[in-house]
Amino acid sequence: MTSEPTTEPDQDDDETPASRIDRRHAVVLAVAALVVLVVGAAIGMLITLTRTEQTGDPDANSIDVGFAQDMRIHHLQAITMAGIERDRTTDPELHAIAFDIESTQLSQSGEMDGWLTVWGQPELPEIGKPHMAWMGGTGHQHGSTTASPGSGSVMPGMATTEELNRLRTMPAGPESDVYFLQLMLRHHQGALPMAQYAADHASQAYVRDLAGKMVAGQTAEVTLMTQMLTARGAS
Amino acid sequence: MASGTKSKGASGPRGKGAGAKGKNVRAARSTSAVARKPKPWGTIIATIAVLALAAGVFTYAAVQINEKNKWVVSEDNRDPSDNIPGVQKVEYKGSQHVKAEQRVAYDQSPPFGGPHDGVWADCTGIVYPTAVRNENMVHSLEHGTVWIAYDPGRIQGGALDKLKSKVEGQQYMMLSPYPGLDRPVSLQSWGHQLKVDSADDARIDDFIRSLRGNQYQTPEPGGRCDAADPTVFDVTKPPPFVSEKPGPDAVKMDGTGAITETNEGQMQTSGAPLPTSAPAAPPAATSQPAPSQ
Repeated sequence: MTSEPTTEPDQDDDETPASRIDRRHAVVLAVAALVVLVVGAAIGMLITLTRTEQTGDPDANSIDVGFAQDMRIHHLQAITMAGIERDRTTDPELHAIAFDIESTQLSQSGEMDGWLTVWGQPELPEIGKPHMAWMGGTGHQHGSTTASPGSGSVMPGMATTEELNRLRTMPAGPESDVYFLQLMLRHHQGALPMAQYAADHASQAYVRDLAGKMVAGQTAEVTLMTQMLTARGAS
Repeated sequence: MASGTKSKGASGPRGKGAGAKGKNVRAARSTSAVARKPKPWGTIIATIAVLALAAGVFTYAAVQINEKNKWVVSEDNRDPSDNIPGVQKVEYKGSQHVKAEQRVAYDQSPPFGGPHDGVWADCTGIVYPTAVRNENMVHSLEHGTVWIAYDPGRIQGGALDKLKSKVEGQQYMMLSPYPGLDRPVSLQSWGHQLKVDSADDARIDDFIRSLRGNQYQTPEPGGRCDAADPTVFDVTKPPPFVSEKPGPDAVKMDGTGAITETNEGQMQTSGAPLPTSAPAAPPAATSQPAPSQ
């Protein structure tokens, strides 16, 4: 602005107060703009708070993260049981299925572990956090911070320490083979609804894909183990 | 920007107002030109209030986000246990193994890193009723386990139950009594230790969530917890803790006397170089053959 205000004669009378008011007006507008910006930024931050910071990746309360954490824990116990049986059994059929379950679930467990790393989520669910809150209907995962360790529910099909120790210590033979099959059958049956839920509802296609393969694989193994139990005069 | 004659009608030649605004400006001017002096206190106060509110929201959000991520292990937060007062940290080299009949002259009690038995203690959420050999327990730490040790003389009943509830059935957790422990409870993870006086200490849970399975603090994250061979490490009858001090033939903390590691996963922690030297001579004290792979 090069021209001076004084070159406009018809504004001489009210020039001083007018320009002051004008300046004040500019200040008000600037402040208003600033306020709008700051408030906008603040709202943005609040929105960020309600969501997780990551963009695109499943967040802590997602089905994907809940499934990966819980199913990994579920798998780890199947790996333990299958490993015990593989070490001890003399029945080639039992050795084969134990080795199959152990290696398949170990691989899947590692895959889920890798997702969690990429998503920036803990690879193990927090102790005491209720399991399976990610499966619809419960919706109480928001209170997880107040849950004390040890209060978490036990996932379906999981064996107790006593049951695992019994499998470890009972004399190896047909009886321990049957006991292993019973424990693993129950374990698979507990996992199926979890895997099915993730196969249907997880946000990431690769999560749905692996969950679907768990459903297919474990359903087939349930059939096989049921037949093996029948063949051994048990159920 | 041209000004002057062009904005003749509006006395303010700033050229910022549109037509409609110009009218308002003129109207406002005609009234305030009379009053002239009064400061717009209402506007000022409102502005300050809004800014203060915004500042409050900013602070709140920042604190909340910080709090939320405080215990989440990530690339940017590799060791959340730095937030816990009282944690002792020591850097140890991983993958140095000793044999079942060897002992390690550990520099800490309970130990939380250093050479260890090639066979790890089962860490699939086991509550050991009796004290277990240190050399096996330390190997489990290397796989990402948190080991809670307690003084059986001071931690009993409800306090012991509380510790058990944090371990029983929880992957990468172990609990065992530790005779002669200088404090009631001691938590160990690889390179980290926290000693507390009560099973109710809130730092116990913080320690667990910061370090259990923490891939950045663990040399072999995700290593298995199942006992590799029940004939060597039987969960129901684990090798017992030895309370006598190790003799002069014990493996040193620097690995002197340990088996050179050749068959395990490569070290992933930074600053821990792979052993590249020729294999050390097998320990003279034993008659076992050196590992062939």
